Order: sequence, then C-alpha cells, then structure tokens
Amino acid sequence: MATNPMHQFEVHRIGPEIKLAGIDLSFTNASLFMFFSAAAICAILFLGTKEKKLIPDKFQLIAEMFYNFIAKMISDTAGSKAKPYFPFIFSLFMFVLFCNMLGMLPYSFTVTSHIIVTLLMAIFIFIAVTIIGFLKHGFGYLKLFVPSGVPLILLPLITVIEIISYLSRPVSLSVRLFANMMAGHTMLKVFGGFVISLGMLGGWLPLGFSVALTGLEILVAFLQAYVFAILTCIYLNDALNLHH
Amino acid sequence: MRLFLLIIGIYTTSEINLLAAEAGMPQLDPTYWASQTFWLILIFTTLYLTLSNLFIPKIKDNIDSRENKIKDDLDEAQKLKNLAEQKLREYELSIENAKKEVQKIIFESKNKLNLEIQNKKREFEKEIEIEIANAEEEIVNLKQDSLKDISIISEEMASKVIEQISGEPMNQSSVKAAILETTKNNLGKYL
Repeated sequence: MATNPMHQFEVHRIGPEIKLAGIDLSFTNASLFMFFSAAAICAILFLGTKEKKLIPDKFQLIAEMFYNFIAKMISDTAGSKAKPYFPFIFSLFMFVLFCNMLGMLPYSFTVTSHIIVTLLMAIFIFIAVTIIGFLKHGFGYLKLFVPSGVPLILLPLITVIEIISYLSRPVSLSVRLFANMMAGHTMLKVFGGFVISLGMLGGWLPLGFSVALTGLEILVAFLQAYVFAILTCIYLNDALNLHH
Repeated sequence: MRLFLLIIGIYTTSEINLLAAEAGMPQLDPTYWASQTFWLILIFTTLYLTLSNLFIPKIKDNIDSRENKIKDDLDEAQKLKNLAEQKLREYELSIENAKKEVQKIIFESKNKLNLEIQNKKREFEKEIEIEIANAEEEIVNLKQDSLKDISIISEEMASKVIEQISGEPMNQSSVKAAILETTKNNLGKYL
C-alpha cells in the first residue's frame, strides 16, 4: 500500500464525523493542509508587517516582494482598472503557491492535486469574471465572441470557437494545475519507490533523479501558481477592457 | 548495460502498476468532495478577508511611506544642492568684488605716491635752483673782489718794479691807468 504512488492523494477524515443535512463535511487531511497554507501565509505576512522599517528585514522584504510581484503582474496584464481585485488575486496566488509548496514536504498532502479544489477556484473565477464583464459592458460583453476584422463567411465559425474557448476556460485552468501537481508528485513517489526496490546497488540513479525532480517540482509549484494567477488576470482583463 | 536494462525492466513494470493505480484515482472519489468544497470556501474566504483587511493595507502603507521618504529625501537633497550653489555664487561674487577693490586701492595709492614724488621733486628742484643762484652770485662777487685785489697787487708790483729799475717813484695815477688798460685787454683770457 505504501508503495502505491497514488496513496499520497487519498483523503481521510481527521477527528469526528461532521454531517450537515446528510452531507459529510468532516475535517480531513485536505482541510488540514488548506488550514496550514492559510496559517503559513498569515504567519509570514504577520512577521513581514510587524515592524514598519525604512530598511526592511528579511520577512518584511519577502512580504513586500510578494506584494510588488503581484501588483506588477496585475498592472502589466489587466491595467489600472484591475486594482480593486488586487486583494483577491494576491490571496489566490498566495494560497495556490503555499498549497503547492507545502505539498513538497515529505508525508504532506497537496491540496491543489485534487481536481475538485482547483475546479472550484476556476469556476468561481469564471463566474466572477463573467459577472464583472456583464456589469461593466452590459450585453456589449457578448462582443467578446465576435472579433472585429473577420470575414463575414468565417464569422459564425469564429464565434462558435470563441464561445467554446470561453466556456472551456474553467476546465483548462483547473486541469492544468491539478494535472501538474498530481503528475509531479506521482513521479517523485515512483522514483522514490525505485530507490528502495533497487537497493544499495542500483538505487543511486533514481535517487539522483529524485533530487533533480524535487528541484523541478519546486519550480513547477511556483510556476503553476504564477500561471493560475496570471490567467486570472488575463480573464479579468477581457472583462474590464473589452477590445472588440 | 545490464544496469540500464534492469532500470528499463523495472520502469515498465512500475508503469503497469501506475496505470493500475490510476484506475482508482483518489481525486475522482466523491466521498469528500462536499467536505473539500466546504473547507476550501471557509478557509479561502477567511484568508481573503484577513489579507485584504489586515495585511495588504499594512504592506501598502509600508511601501508608500518608504517611497515618500525617499522622495522627500531627494527633494531635500536637491534643495540643499541649490542652496550650496547659490552660496558658491555669492562667495565668488564677493571674491570678485574684493579683487576689484584691491585693484582700485592699488591704483589710488600709486597715483597718490606719484603725486607726492612729483611735489617733492619740484621742491628739491626749486631749492637746488636757489642754491645755484646763490653760488653763482658768490662766484661773481669773488670774481670782482679778486679783480680788485689783482689790480691793487699789480699796481704795487708795477710801481715797485719801476722804482727798482728807474730809481725813482713813478706817478701813482699813471701806473694805475696803465694797469687798468692792460687788465681790461687781457683779463677776459683768464677769468
């Protein structure tokens, strides 16, 4: 059982069973690691804002680096109109990043390796962006599906493609993050299993791979959080600044 | 080579294992979907509210105050620089004025000295002229005195010589007249 690479993704209940109207809402290891991520974010930001120094110390520098990073990303992709959504995108990026990074610790659980979690976030973003788009532009937001400067014959086809691509946004957004996390952790586990099964003689090569993959996975963890946040910004940009 | 084959062999067997495991992906088991949804919404909402109300304004405040401080410092530095430049200009101006004044003073004192020297020179020249005039007068007096003495001595000498030669005294007035005539003719040669 312990060598099964998918074992690490199993959710199990911690503590008593909580049932609300017949629905199981028990506290699980997934909930525990969501809580850990949120707590870690708050802890780092608390240490980063505890003292207001002119020359920042390490934690203040980290907090300000995150802030400037997200602020620059938003202003680069969605412009100044997206400023009110900064706290949401900041929270989203931090949450995904910390869930990914905490998942890199041995024996931990990766929250973002579950399709339900990423799908929920993606659907929320999709619905929110759609509502913002309709609120800002009314039914003019539908012009998003009708690009200008397209020959009249191609227009119906292009519109259908645009609608399908728009509707597939939550799927692509959630599956990208989920699949990356699951694949990476499965690979790590598989190579870890090789080290044991090959023993002292042949285990060194997969061990080396494991070390290299850990580095790669840390990069992927950061990159996927970044991609998740920047795609949110791009969707938000479509809703705020209609270009068609 | 043998090691390589071994790795490939183990990899293929584990691939089969992997595929078998994927049939039972825990992610697709809906038992805890509701729980995950609930806790995700709860925790993410709490996180969002905490960050947007507590930490993000604090970080923004920190960054803004630092930027303001830097800007203020730069403004202050610019102000001080301008002040220093102004001071330098004032200093240069005062040095230039001082130089001009010094030149003026030198010029004035030179003129004054020249004037004084000229005055002294004139005074000395006047004195020298007076002295020269006095000396010339004295010389003229001496000349006349000596002329008289000469004529008296020559008279005496002439009368004595005549007495010696002729044995009897000559008429005093005729000797005098003869001496006077010779003197008149020849005195200009010697004096």
